[in-house]
Order: sequence, then structure tokens, then C-alpha cells
Amino acid sequence: MRSSTSGSNGTALSYAKRLAGICAIFIVVFEISAVYLLKHLSLTYKRISEQYDEAVTMHPCGPGEPPCVLMVGNSLLMYGVKLDQLRVMTSAKMNIYPIFLEATGYYDWFYGLKRLFREGVRPQVVVVGIGVNYFLENGVRQDYAPMLFFDARDTLALASDLHLDRTATSNLLLAHSSTFWDTRSAVRTQILRHMVPHLEDLFLMLSQTPAIPEGHEFEEIAIPRLRRLNGLCEAHGAKLILVVPPTLASDGTVSQMAFAAHSAGVDVSVPVDPGVLSARFYQRDGIHLNPEGAALFTSALAKDLPDKIMAHNTMASR
Amino acid sequence: MLFDSPAYFVFLIPVVLLYWRLNCRAKNIFLLLASYFFYGWWDWRFLALMIGSTTMDFLIAQKITPDRCDANRRKWLIFSLVLNFSILGTFKYFNFFVDSFSTALNTLGIHNLPLSLIRIILPPGISFYTFQEVAYIVDVYKGRLAPAKSFIEYGLFVSLFPHLIAGPIQKPGHLLPQVQRNRVFDADRFFDGLMLIFSGLVRKCVVADNCALLANAAFSGQFGKPNFWVVLLGTYAFAWQVYGDFSGYSDIARGSAQLMGFHFMVNFRQPYLSRRLQDFWRRWHISLSTWLRDYLYIPLGGSAGGNWKTSRNLVMTMILAGLWHGAAWTFVIFGAIHGLVLAIERLFWPVKMKAADGAQPKPYAGLLSGWGERILTFNVFCLSLAFFRAPSLNLARQFLSGLSNLAWRSEYASAFFMLAIFAIPLFVVDLLMEASNEEYPFANASYAVRTALATVSLVVLALFSGSNLNAFVYFRF
Repeated sequence: MRSSTSGSNGTALSYAKRLAGICAIFIVVFEISAVYLLKHLSLTYKRISEQYDEAVTMHPCGPGEPPCVLMVGNSLLMYGVKLDQLRVMTSAKMNIYPIFLEATGYYDWFYGLKRLFREGVRPQVVVVGIGVNYFLENGVRQDYAPMLFFDARDTLALASDLHLDRTATSNLLLAHSSTFWDTRSAVRTQILRHMVPHLEDLFLMLSQTPAIPEGHEFEEIAIPRLRRLNGLCEAHGAKLILVVPPTLASDGTVSQMAFAAHSAGVDVSVPVDPGVLSARFYQRDGIHLNPEGAALFTSALAKDLPDKIMAHNTMASR
Repeated sequence: MLFDSPAYFVFLIPVVLLYWRLNCRAKNIFLLLASYFFYGWWDWRFLALMIGSTTMDFLIAQKITPDRCDANRRKWLIFSLVLNFSILGTFKYFNFFVDSFSTALNTLGIHNLPLSLIRIILPPGISFYTFQEVAYIVDVYKGRLAPAKSFIEYGLFVSLFPHLIAGPIQKPGHLLPQVQRNRVFDADRFFDGLMLIFSGLVRKCVVADNCALLANAAFSGQFGKPNFWVVLLGTYAFAWQVYGDFSGYSDIARGSAQLMGFHFMVNFRQPYLSRRLQDFWRRWHISLSTWLRDYLYIPLGGSAGGNWKTSRNLVMTMILAGLWHGAAWTFVIFGAIHGLVLAIERLFWPVKMKAADGAQPKPYAGLLSGWGERILTFNVFCLSLAFFRAPSLNLARQFLSGLSNLAWRSEYASAFFMLAIFAIPLFVVDLLMEASNEEYPFANASYAVRTALATVSLVVLALFSGSNLNAFVYFRF
């Protein structure tokens, strides 16, 4: 850069350089702070990393031991399954390793499972529990998932699957490699929570639920995805079971999803018929089960899941 | 490459550093290549279209200068205009006309024509670079500008990356001479460029992206059936979103250009402080309204032919301005509302000449106070935004029909509070800039103060920007 001779120009250049230096320092500070805050304050990160670590240490079961079940899903399973209750009810029949992250969908878990398999996780059964709309959505969770679930190469494959442009791809890659970039939305939400009264209620309204495609489009999206997911699990010696959790307005779509799973050759579990659950079993949003609904769902799942696994084992042994 | 994405800065920083090490001619060649790379980052397929259109206009301009005794000058001009607007029309309006034609046939009972299957993708920035090229051709024809002698210079004038995708549309007489002369590093202006980029990032990532959460929710029905409060929230949030978004984009564009020694015209001057709509269009997207005035409104006759003709010209110009924003009937209505209000203002509340003592004219003198006028103008704009934002006329009508319902929900209070958190600081900045007449906030403060403010902006950006990259609203135009 050409140096300037005037005093004003010299001062300006000096401050421009200082500003560039401040930016560089701040980027480092933000990154370090984000890592610190994430590890020490984020309950979501704590939960996910504990669950993830637990899954990674999973040992393949020996003869006569109950099978290892990797159970992944979004908030529908997180709120709908009482894990302690499920473990107690099924302890003799299976060992459950859950990983639940809110607002995740098909792509989050397809690439999440890919990475888990690559890290040596070998469950006998993989249970995927995602709401129908998130299963059919073309997108991924923008925070946490890129950092926790994807490898860099997965990120590129995912960008290709989602037909992301180069800017969105580079953004996803950055979210994968930078904790600050990945978590800044969560940081903003936490700050706003302290500034805006009743922000949770507002964000409940602001969060967009993906729309469910209708007619043939539903099957055209669902069946190939289920087959791909099934292929991934089979390639790593695991059986895939799709759990379809209920939501207040999910009656028709649950049966459509079950039909698509049958067509794709994937075992499906619909522990509770959404038609029999009234609004009193749901939280205010009509999407997530409340404790009463969760107890009901967990009991039904504890009954249905071991049956499905046993049926599979019997078939396999024949 | 979105201006608010890290990828843009990974591109910009080395470009700027390398650029200042080059000599004059190499600078232009390097910037032209960098601009083509920037454009190709979106879609290489459309690069050929832009280079082709640039080449045609470069060659045509050589044939239409007034000093040429060529009888075909006018024909070349018309050929260029037809070519430019045909390209724009094909890529931008083809789908709109096919859909409108298909709807018309449906109403006549003719169904099942596979017209809707034919789709054309909109090349990025086509509206902006076409207008820039048309302005150049007209200016050369009228003798207001000498044609560029070098393709590199003309190509750079059209495609200089900071203004390529969404403006500001530069007057040829302002930008081309800058491209043609050697640019010498000026640290003062370089520092101003950095400040503009910081200002733009805060406007876009903090104000616009957060207001977008509320506007999107209101317009997509997440707040429930539209009622008075939802309409108010949706249009106000969208007003601040689109202002933060586009003024932020313009600031980053101007700042980026300034880092390389170019000066772009100011595109926004506190538009929400306008006391009437005419004033508003002198402050909002100034580069577009100046273009429309110079190349459409005045050639149509401007205000020369009495009230009726002036009103007609205003309405026509604003309808075309609306259509420029997007190929949909909603944009036509948006433009028509503005045209009609401008005509009504002109007929019933003409601006009085400036008083001898230099006092500002009082447009609605006796009817409303200054702040009353500002609030009225802002609300007229917000009302028109319902058409700008809604995906279809029917949805815009449904949205506005909620105005008669006053049902209140407690969540609205949180939403208005959140809107205030992001909109009020920008409003205060506008008040300060209006008082000081600066190009960016605190432009006349000392370097130390401005550096401190930039540092604060950095922290604000880190704490309040969201995770999703929302494309700039004007990128789709």
C-alpha cells in the first residue's frame, strides 16, 4: 500500500491498521469465549456431548446380551420419551444409547449417523425418531449440528444434497470449524432472553415448522430417504427402526409416513395412535408431549420396540 | 458471495491488498477479473450473458456519439435499448407474463396448457447492470459523456463488484471518470470505507435480520390470523428490515468501493424522517429514483405539461419502478400506490418555494405538524409494504383485511418490544445523521472515537447477529 505523506492520512492509516488488529484480536477472543461458554454454560452442548461420548463408547453386545440400541431424534423424542422409565422397562431386552437434539431432521441424522459409524459405533439397532415434517424438510439445523454431527467432508456432501450455493456451503463449513460461528445464534437468543420479557412464548410463535408436502411428493421424498438411511445402517450391521412420534395434528401424516416406511422396507413403530391423544397430552404448542403424554408414549414404546427387535432377531437367526 | 458472509471478506481483503500494489492499468484489469470472479461465484452460466451485453453496449456506444455524422445513430440507440430491455424482459419478466397469460386463459375456461412448465432463472443483478448500461448509452447519445475507449474501463464500470449485484446504480458521469483515472491511496477515505462497512454490517446483521424474524412470522401467519396488531407489527418490522437490509447493503458496497479509491453516491438519507412521499423518494434508494427521474420521468415529459400530465407521468414512473422491483402484480400495486400518493400530494399539497429566510418549506402547513407528517408518510409507506412483502395480491388483501380486528395477545407485547430494541437505535442514528448531515454516523468524530465505535459495532455484531444468512432483500431484484 502506498504510504501517505499528509499528517491526517498518516493518522488515518495508523487507525485503520489498529482497527484491523482489533478485528483480528476480537475474532480470536470471540472464538475462545464461545468455546468456554459452550463448555461451561450450555446445557444443550453438555447433554449432547455426554450422550455422544456415551454412544461412542458403546460396546458391541456379546451372545446372550441384550442388543445395543442407538436412539436418535429431535425434540419430539426428547420430550416424548422418559428415558429413565424406558430404560427400566426395557433393561432386560435392550441397552439404549440416546442422542437427542431439538429441531433436527433427516439430513442432520443421516450425516450424524454416518459420522458415528465412522467413529466405530456399532449398534445392533438404530432407532430414528423425527417428526414427519422434519424428516421431509430440506435443511439442517444451522447451529450445533454442523459442529457436533458433521465432518468437513460430510458438510460438502450435505451442501451438494441440499443444492446449497457456494456462500451457504462456505458458511456451513465455517459453522463446522468455528465454535463462535456455530453458536452465535444461541448466544443471541440467550441475551435476548434477558432483554425481552416472555421471549420463550414469542419464540414459540416465531419458530417455523417445516411444511409437509402433499400427495405423491410426500412419498417421492420420504421413500428414497428411508432407503438411504436403511442402506447406511445395513452397511454397518444395524437394523433401522423408524419411530413416528405423535403430534396434535399428525393423524394423517403418521399413517402416510408408516406407509412410506413399509414401501421402503423399513420397520416402523407408531407406539401411540395420534388419533387417541387429545390436546391435554400435549404442551401448549400442540407439538410436544407433556409429562402425562410422555408417560403414555414411553410405556407404549417400551412395549413396541422390544417386540420389533425380537421379531427382527428371530428372522435373522432363521 | 453475500456481503455479510465470511466468504466475502475472504475475497475482499486480499483483493484490496493486492490492488494497491498494482499500477493504474493493472488495477483495472485485476478489478475486472475479480469482479467477474465475484459474479461467477453465484453462477458462471450468467457471466457470459453479462459480458455479452457489456460488449454490445461498448461497441454500440462508439457509433452513437453526437460528433459522428452517422445517420444511423438513432437506430443504434434504439437497437441498444431494445436489446437491453429484451434481455431484462426475458430473464426477469418472462415467468410473470407466462403466469399472467395462463391465469387469463384459465378464467376464459382454457385449461391444461403447459405454459407454467417453462421457467427462466433470474440472473443475479440483471436489473442493476441493465439500468447502468442504459444510462451510459443514453448519456453518450445525448453527448453528456464521451464513450469509453477501452473495454476494460467500460467493463469495470458495469461490473465493479461492490455495486454489481444490487447497486447503488451509479451515474455514468460519476463512476466512469473514476474508472478512467488513476486512483491514489487516500488513508482518510480508506478509513471511511472501513467505517461504512461496519455501519452496513450492523444495519444488515443486527437490525434487518432480527426484524426479519418478526416480519416473516407476521406475514406467514405464525402470529395467527392477521389482525390490526399483526398488520402493524408485520409492516413496521418489514419496514425496518428492508431499510436496515438495503441501506446496510449500500453502506457495505460504498465502503468496499471506497477501500479501492472509488466513491459511490449515497443511496439512503434517513428516509423515515421524510415529511411527504416526494421527500421520501429523494431519500430512499436515491440511485434508483435518480435514474427513474433522469431516464424515465423527464423523457415522459416530467412536470412540464400541467397537473394531469404530471400526475400521469408520476403514476407511470412509479408503476414501472414497482415492476422493476419484481415481476408480480403486488409490485405493480406497490408502485401504483406510490404514484397515486405522489400525484395527490402534488395536486393538493404542493411544496411551497423556499422562504426567503431559508426556512424549510411546510408541505401540509396548517394541517399537520412536522412529526405528524413524518408519521403519516411512514405509515403510508408501511401500508404499501404489505403489497411489497406479500407473495400474492390475494394474500396481501387477506393480510390487510385484518386491520378491522383489534384482538390482542400477550405475545404481541414481546414482539413490539423486540422490534423496538432493534429499530429505535437505528432511528436515533438517523436523527443524529439528519442533524449532522454526515455520510455515516459520527463521520466527523476523531479517529479514536470512530475506532472505538467500530469496536463496539464488532461486539454488537457478535452478540446480536443470527446464524442464518438471509440473502439481501434487493438481491432478488
